[in-house]
Amino acid sequence: MNRDPGKFWNPYLAGVALGLVLLASFVVMGKGLGASGASFRVGVAALSVLAPAHVATAPGLKAVAASPLDDWLVFEVLGVLLGGLVGAYTSGRLQVEVLRGPRASAGLRIGMALGGGLLMGFAAKLARGCTSGQALSGGAMLSAGSWAFMMMVFAGGYAIAWTLRRAWR
Amino acid sequence: MTFPFEWLLHGGREVGLVVAVAIGFGFGFVLERAGFGRAQKLVAQFYGDDMTVFKVMFGSIVTAMGGAVLLSGLGLMDLRAVADVATSATWIWPMLVGGFVLGLGFIVSGYCPGTSLVAAASGKVDGLATVAGVVVGTLVYGELMAWPAFAAFTESGFQGHLYLQDLVHLPAPVVALAIALMAIGCFVGAERIERLLTRGPGTPRVPRRAVLAGFAGLALLGLATLALPRATEAVAVPERISPEALARRVIESPWNSRVLDLRSPESCAAARVPGAECTPAASLRDLDLGYAAPARDLVLVADGDLTELPADVRVYRGRTLVLEGGWDAWKRWALEAPQPLAAGATAAEREAWLFRSGVHGALTGAKAAPPPAPAPAGAAPRRKATGGGCSG
Repeated sequence: MNRDPGKFWNPYLAGVALGLVLLASFVVMGKGLGASGASFRVGVAALSVLAPAHVATAPGLKAVAASPLDDWLVFEVLGVLLGGLVGAYTSGRLQVEVLRGPRASAGLRIGMALGGGLLMGFAAKLARGCTSGQALSGGAMLSAGSWAFMMMVFAGGYAIAWTLRRAWR
Repeated sequence: MTFPFEWLLHGGREVGLVVAVAIGFGFGFVLERAGFGRAQKLVAQFYGDDMTVFKVMFGSIVTAMGGAVLLSGLGLMDLRAVADVATSATWIWPMLVGGFVLGLGFIVSGYCPGTSLVAAASGKVDGLATVAGVVVGTLVYGELMAWPAFAAFTESGFQGHLYLQDLVHLPAPVVALAIALMAIGCFVGAERIERLLTRGPGTPRVPRRAVLAGFAGLALLGLATLALPRATEAVAVPERISPEALARRVIESPWNSRVLDLRSPESCAAARVPGAECTPAASLRDLDLGYAAPARDLVLVADGDLTELPADVRVYRGRTLVLEGGWDAWKRWALEAPQPLAAGATAAEREAWLFRSGVHGALTGAKAAPPPAPAPAGAAPRRKATGGGCSG
């Protein structure tokens, strides 16, 4: 196999491929794709090892406290990790590294990743889904809230792109 | 056959979880190949010179939307029923705020929650850090739910399941076509911006043209299904309910059913099933059943047997039942005195007879018939021994 880490699929063909995966999810399982929901469940599972009594009573956690990992999304995300691993291996992009802008240090980059992740985890819970569950799946099902959400994601990104240019460019 | 496969969610749950892993695999693999395991490829979207994120995202939405609308138009799937399960309802304020904050987090971390998983799986330490951040962020949200003002905000602006086609009052295929055309316009525009900013050749032209034409074609096919007679739905025999089962519903759980009497207003005014609304066929449109909350089951009462649901009822999103034999059957069952019960009837037959004569008495004012002679000696104790009416 010809491995070229700099070679990606044509974005339109990748879009069609992603759309077919999403359609298969609707047609076969009657569900959309997702990611952040599984993160929450993994987090609750980890927290219930550390503080089981707290998880069982916290209003925002107890709903999934009984069996946090018993959910379709957790299994779907396992598949995402596997698919990402196989995709990266076969394309020559499987490598332990810190991806960062030319002027950003690795420490700054990891800090930004943690902080940005935290914002997204919070926001995805607030919006009942992230770019996968809300924008992609809800958008394809013509959900009005999903389209409003998607516009705001782009608005948020463009709003501070200029401020953050030194981190990325 | 109608999609999705029910049994994967219930009976065949283990198989369903394997399918979940397989679908996730496809999702992760395609994201990786599109370049979404690399932060710079993703944030380039916000600097204008590489619109891959926009193209892949919008392209996949148009593909899945077009496919779902087409399958639904052909009667193989129910768009609204799948959407009600597969997507969340709309809480407009938290969704707008959540979208904006997620956009901020996107460009700060360089990933979205799904792509950070792919990055982590391909060895990117920053991807792994984002995954950890997302987990912590969801837990922070969970903890904040203990604060009543925050919990109230998360529930604000609730609209139920609200779809674009409801907002514009057009059929879903028309909305899907409009979105597909808008997407094609945006793709063409995105190519221009990229060429302006990079002075590069842009995306190869051949697959691009083919894909864009494919999007338009798919959406047009979906639109064409509007012209189909509602073949699958019309042929499907409506679900039927016997007069006795309807009487039990009306008496034991009237809040579960909405009974519509389709006969002429005069006949309906003279006598009807208890609780029925007089809605002659011509007035059905005014009920706007397509927008009615689908909480109750509709039960239709016609003069005789109804073999096909009226179009204005087919739009109802809940369950619809048809009274078997129509009003004539109801009249025979409820308004004519039941024949005396033969000796040696089982307990279930006795119970059904008592119920029927009770309904008859209540609806006609006739004195209820005396209870049937008790079953022959020995029957009652034997019934006890076998453990209950259900087994009899």
